[in-house]
Amino acid sequence: MNTQMSPNTSPNPSPSHLADAPAEDRLAFAITEVARQFPDRTAIVAGAGGESSRTIDYAALAGAIAKLESSLDRVRPVGIIARANRTESLVVLAAACGRQHVPVAFLAEDSRDLIGELRDWVTVDDSLLLVANPAAQRREFEAVATHVVVATSGTSGPPKLVEHSWDSLLAAARLAEQWHGLGWILVYDATRWAGIQVWLQSLLTGGRLVVPASRDPDTVLKAIVDEQATVLPATPTLLRRLLTSADRSLLAKARLDRITLGGETADGLLLEQARTAFPAVKITQVYATTELGEVFRVTDGLAGFPVNWLGRSLAGGARLGMRRDGELLVQLSRDSAEVATGDLIEKRGDRYEFTGRRSDVIVVGGAKVLPRRVEELLRGVPGIADARVYGMPSAITGELVAAEVVLTEPLPEGSTPESIRAGALAACRSGLEPHGVPRILDIVKKITTNPAGKVPRRQA
Amino acid sequence: MSSLSDSTTAAIVAAIGQVLHDTGRAADAVEPQMLLATDLGLDSLDLAQTVVLLERSLGVDPFRAPPAGSARPAIRTVADLVSIYSQGLSARPAQRLP
Repeated sequence: MNTQMSPNTSPNPSPSHLADAPAEDRLAFAITEVARQFPDRTAIVAGAGGESSRTIDYAALAGAIAKLESSLDRVRPVGIIARANRTESLVVLAAACGRQHVPVAFLAEDSRDLIGELRDWVTVDDSLLLVANPAAQRREFEAVATHVVVATSGTSGPPKLVEHSWDSLLAAARLAEQWHGLGWILVYDATRWAGIQVWLQSLLTGGRLVVPASRDPDTVLKAIVDEQATVLPATPTLLRRLLTSADRSLLAKARLDRITLGGETADGLLLEQARTAFPAVKITQVYATTELGEVFRVTDGLAGFPVNWLGRSLAGGARLGMRRDGELLVQLSRDSAEVATGDLIEKRGDRYEFTGRRSDVIVVGGAKVLPRRVEELLRGVPGIADARVYGMPSAITGELVAAEVVLTEPLPEGSTPESIRAGALAACRSGLEPHGVPRILDIVKKITTNPAGKVPRRQA
Repeated sequence: MSSLSDSTTAAIVAAIGQVLHDTGRAADAVEPQMLLATDLGLDSLDLAQTVVLLERSLGVDPFRAPPAGSARPAIRTVADLVSIYSQGLSARPAQRLP
């Protein structure tokens, strides 16, 4: 079992050296630097919080990267498809391909059928063995611009492949001193944008990447406690699950310094619950999409973003706008086109808060319902830990509002699942228009999520 | 009455009762001749919910694909519902209701 418990405070690799290296070289450079200075330092803990975990140190990663780089140099493939299940394999593939200027694609389980677009690319699995295909094209020396291919999660359309330059991929990485040697929990899929950002961040800063054995709340918390991880990047749905469904004593032992939320928008109630569980925590909410990358971050711990951000150039250079119907528009830089995000915002006091995606709107007998509003109401009902509201097709009214709820453990004093359900429906009747009241309300053990960890808005 | 329509009737009565209960109304006796709208106070949303509940309990939704070439039959009473669901359950093509 790994003995390197305390976060390392000396600056390595030096931020200035790292920033000097071309973007595609940085990951390999960072890992090699840490391996040189601290070969035994743990880079990755896989299967944390579970039956058996395994640790991979920086020296092992550096060795694997060097080995793969010589294969890449010899074979010169047109591109590499990373078909690996282990996080350490993905890291090695990214680092080696980057430094060898070979394009690399990360395809999640459900995007494997998009592979057809990457003809002549060579697939590499966890063995990290590169098998040359004599019939395949060899890359010419003046290579195609090196890039990374990532699959979108399919939340805003069918999954598709998106190309990113290494500069774009690394744009959001924080390399300053204060971010070095921290413990990061990876609960995102390591082949998708959000997951890639987490492992890049950890490895670029000599950190320890903790990969829990599963996404079960108790396992994740045990991983946090066992490995003393202090940074949790997660979706609001997952955070809510940790806060409401996990073993109370485990939750009390976990100490988080930072929570970074993304993928969905968080409501005020969740942010309060997080601060209650982790009093010292700093909460950052990141607004990003696979196509745009990171657009902005909110660090004041409040839901939504300040009203005066609309129409101004933000810290990252992006400019926000709003269509008349409330849809958020983003212009990444002065030369780029304005993109309609599909996200709806609404002014509430001195904030713009997210009310849901345009495609989430449920239409009942011609009247529109925003699922998030119904969810926020349901979560306020005593006995309900979390809720998912979605549209169910109806030949009579077009759609119906349906909901699934997870109950708190334990239930409030004197209540039963049936009494909570009746109370929830009554609360909806008094708080919503008639067409907005859920017509189907099921009690479930766990909120349904899609492979990216987000909540589907049409019948599962 | 065949046992098919007995159990179908029971399922429909139960579904309507559930709808009334869920919407905070008293679920008194539901009789076949009762008018859905006038006697039971059910609106289109209530009916839509009933249909979803019945799809769960009976496994069919006769409203989803109206028979080719015919209009959707009028559903006025509880008995009308029993009729359309009985037809949906047996494999006979749907017939116009009187």
